[in-house]
Amino acid sequence: MVEFDRSAFIAKFQEEAQDLLQRLNESVITLEGDPENRELIDQMMRDAHTIKGSSRMVGLIEISDVAHWLEDIMVKVRDGEMKYTPQMSDYFFEALDAIVYLADNNGVNEGGLLDLDGLKAKLSALAEGGTDAAKAAEAQAAAAQDASAVESPQPAPKKRTRKKAVPEAEAPDQQGSAPSGTDEPEGADEQEAHEDEGDEGSDSARQEEKSAAVASKTAPGKKVPDELKSKVQATIRIRTTQVDSLLNLISEVVIGQIKAEQRANEMRAIQAATMETWQTWLRMRSLLTALDEQGVAEGLTEDMNLLDTRLSESQRALSAFVKDYTEDVSRTSLVVNDLQEQGMRLRMLPANTIFQTFPRAVRDLAKQFKKEIDFQIEGGDTELDKKVLEEINDPLVHIMRNCVDHGIEDPETRKKLGKPPVGTVKLAARQEGDRIIIEITDDGAGIDPDKVRESAVRKGYISEAEAAAMSDREAMYLIFEAGFSTAAIITEISGRGVGMDVVREFVVEKLKGSLDVESEVGKGTRFKLTIPLTLAIIRALMLRVGDQIFAMPTGSIDETLRIDPAEIIKVEGREVIRRQRRTIPLVRLSEILGIPAQPLEAAKQPIVTIGYSGHRMGFMVDGFVGEQQIVIKPLGSHLKKIDNVAGVTILGAGEVVPILNIPDLMANARTKSGQRVGPAQRAEREGPRKVLICEDSFTTRELERSIFEAAGYEVETAVDGAQGFQKLRDGLKVDAVVTDVQMPNMTGFELTKAIKSDPTLMAIPVIIVTSLERDEEKAEGIEAGADAYITKSVFNQDTLLDTVDRLIR
Amino acid sequence: MTMVDGHDVKEASTLAETAEEVLRRRAESLARETLEEEATHRLALLLFRIAEEWYAVKVADVREIFQEYEITTVPCVPDHILGVVNVRGEILSITDPAKLMRLGAVEVGGSVQPPAIVIVADEVATAMVVDEIGDIAEVPDDAVEPPISIIDRAQAEYIAGSVHVGDLMVGLINIERMLEPVTTGGRH
Repeated sequence: MVEFDRSAFIAKFQEEAQDLLQRLNESVITLEGDPENRELIDQMMRDAHTIKGSSRMVGLIEISDVAHWLEDIMVKVRDGEMKYTPQMSDYFFEALDAIVYLADNNGVNEGGLLDLDGLKAKLSALAEGGTDAAKAAEAQAAAAQDASAVESPQPAPKKRTRKKAVPEAEAPDQQGSAPSGTDEPEGADEQEAHEDEGDEGSDSARQEEKSAAVASKTAPGKKVPDELKSKVQATIRIRTTQVDSLLNLISEVVIGQIKAEQRANEMRAIQAATMETWQTWLRMRSLLTALDEQGVAEGLTEDMNLLDTRLSESQRALSAFVKDYTEDVSRTSLVVNDLQEQGMRLRMLPANTIFQTFPRAVRDLAKQFKKEIDFQIEGGDTELDKKVLEEINDPLVHIMRNCVDHGIEDPETRKKLGKPPVGTVKLAARQEGDRIIIEITDDGAGIDPDKVRESAVRKGYISEAEAAAMSDREAMYLIFEAGFSTAAIITEISGRGVGMDVVREFVVEKLKGSLDVESEVGKGTRFKLTIPLTLAIIRALMLRVGDQIFAMPTGSIDETLRIDPAEIIKVEGREVIRRQRRTIPLVRLSEILGIPAQPLEAAKQPIVTIGYSGHRMGFMVDGFVGEQQIVIKPLGSHLKKIDNVAGVTILGAGEVVPILNIPDLMANARTKSGQRVGPAQRAEREGPRKVLICEDSFTTRELERSIFEAAGYEVETAVDGAQGFQKLRDGLKVDAVVTDVQMPNMTGFELTKAIKSDPTLMAIPVIIVTSLERDEEKAEGIEAGADAYITKSVFNQDTLLDTVDRLIR
Repeated sequence: MTMVDGHDVKEASTLAETAEEVLRRRAESLARETLEEEATHRLALLLFRIAEEWYAVKVADVREIFQEYEITTVPCVPDHILGVVNVRGEILSITDPAKLMRLGAVEVGGSVQPPAIVIVADEVATAMVVDEIGDIAEVPDDAVEPPISIIDRAQAEYIAGSVHVGDLMVGLINIERMLEPVTTGGRH
């Protein structure tokens, strides 16, 4: 299994622990006044348990131990084996302080400041025999402390073995009490076990570390509390919105700085002009002196000298000022650059922050699908913008689910194919310049482009002709279309009944990145996500439409071309160009944006071609301005969503430039050029959506009815498949059919088959909701042509609504 | 009651003074509210003119007033959105209330930009261009009456009420309606 870089999680743990510790501290105080408060006791126990579990996860064993002792005591208090007395608070605080100290020092008992053994002795005595016993233990510990200080090297190994033995010895005790009441979450246990399993290598290292910490212990325990207090505020939590407004101001400072630099340049130009004036004056003065040799104009010499002095003085002053100012500006420039960089880093976190949850998720999925998977992570320390991390989690999970569900074959099949029975799924992140590349690779069955084409034609996404014209690579992109699924059916496991379009939506629309898929049948699939380093800054092509400049994110741009107008050909009344034996339809960007078109100025027509989820389109523009990094700003609170516009950016000189929204442009361009067919057109229909529910159980029927009605749907019902089908035959127009399987007269499978083989009805999505969950039954559903299959065991209203919503779109 | 001392055309240069005045009045009115817990609360209104009519917004809903700015047009927006403007790094939409209320259009792009009043409610903000900024008037809050019935239907939804200020009848702008989020283009 994967070896994590734990340091990344320690920070996360510290953040989490801070809140828990704060709450525990408060709880101890409250409990003093209200020792019977059951809720509070439960909560304290849970908090201690959480700290125990998560510190163990990140390898902070000492913290885990202390938390474990606390939890032990709380379990006893909860089970009534012990009463909480105010005297106990002191021990609790000591333990909590010890955890705070350890957490702040990455779990290392720095300089042996803490007397952990003494603390342990006290706490376990407390757990055994209440405060009196603990007091005795305290005295003993103090004595032991003195003793150990004298006979220094020997005790270390003894202590180590004792410490290691203790948690194991205590484990049965804890188990004995746990089942009686509050749930010890199974997940935590499993995780711990898993952790131990995969971590044998570092175990010895941990031992060494521990013995080192113990051996170096010299300072008496009493000193500790003073040291601890000042450590508590090593990190602070800041709301992301605050960081964002700070970054907003920083980018204003950057713009201000750019302006200052421009001013400095202007100043130098002024200085040069003044210099010329000065030279002119010098020439004029010598002429005047020559003219006035006879001293005709009295006082002229005097005035000339005065002017001479003044001019040279102001010349010097200006030079000095320009020099100083230029220096100031360039010095500030360095600081501002630093400021910007540091500001951006405020939002950066290692990819592991989210990757850490994946091994577990993949393992669970593998189990669920009865597959064997070796999951590998690479480049988990790659830093990403926090916002990117938040947004990227779902797409990644979704892709991995797909890899496990549809990619990797089951062990028997793999053996038959001569592959190793254990499939490999690899998640790798790396930085390339100003972008992050995340790749998910599996060595499974791969995606068959022909199957995708076939399915896309059947579902009406593309025409036969289009399918034939598509390259394999482009065909593969179709899996990212809304409602499209490679497996020809949606199961709730591959993403709550959601297709790969979510992935595309997140990566392209939200993250302004691009998405690539490569696959070889029988060999495996590779998804490649290219994401800008931060959401705030992207690369964009600046282009001109009419008199206005627009920014187009480069993520989806294939090519920028300057085409001889003669090369633009008309096919069926539409303008197209031929590129590499392919026909690319053209549209005028001005037409999409509703800006008056300009006649072509240059000899060649500038065109940007965009490839987006399998479709290629050329946009005719009025000119290219250049490519640059831009800072994305939202359109403001008032303009919530504007067609074709993703936001704006502010250029160096302060001018505002709209950023174009690629998915909108593509959708509008396709509509305009009459290419949109299938599901997309249905979505443009007005009025409430209507579903037909076929279900023989009254309760289920009414439950589903209320779910859909609450979501704004119109609902028709039928008590069995036959009645439902009759209603459809009679001309009932619905957007989707939701059906049970086991019904009298006509089963859900039969109904599905009937709908899918009727040319007037086949476009209606059919969602099967059933308690049959075996694979064979799912296969039957697939065969019948169902668009989604939701099992009742995982049924919830979001799943249902999401699925229907996706399919209708 | 503070009388509106006329509605003579203000010069652009007095805009900053107007803004200051707005803030001063607001501070004063806040101070007064706490000082004397009067039975009748007073409402501070900022008057402005669109075409020949006078309108008002509550001073409390006004964030700032500015005049020197450059509008960037944005494609695919409704007619009444003139574009966006960069206010100290924040992007604000520019709304033409005249277009919304079918009163023609506030003239922009001339040698002097029309004044813009930034109105805010629930963290949604827009800069509303007007033909002229008037005074600040204080009225008892029960002086706001339902909108007079003769106003145009197109107008009615943007007017929350009418108030007599001196001998003027002004329409109180329904800023919630004016700040309704703008969405264009269907979901693809």
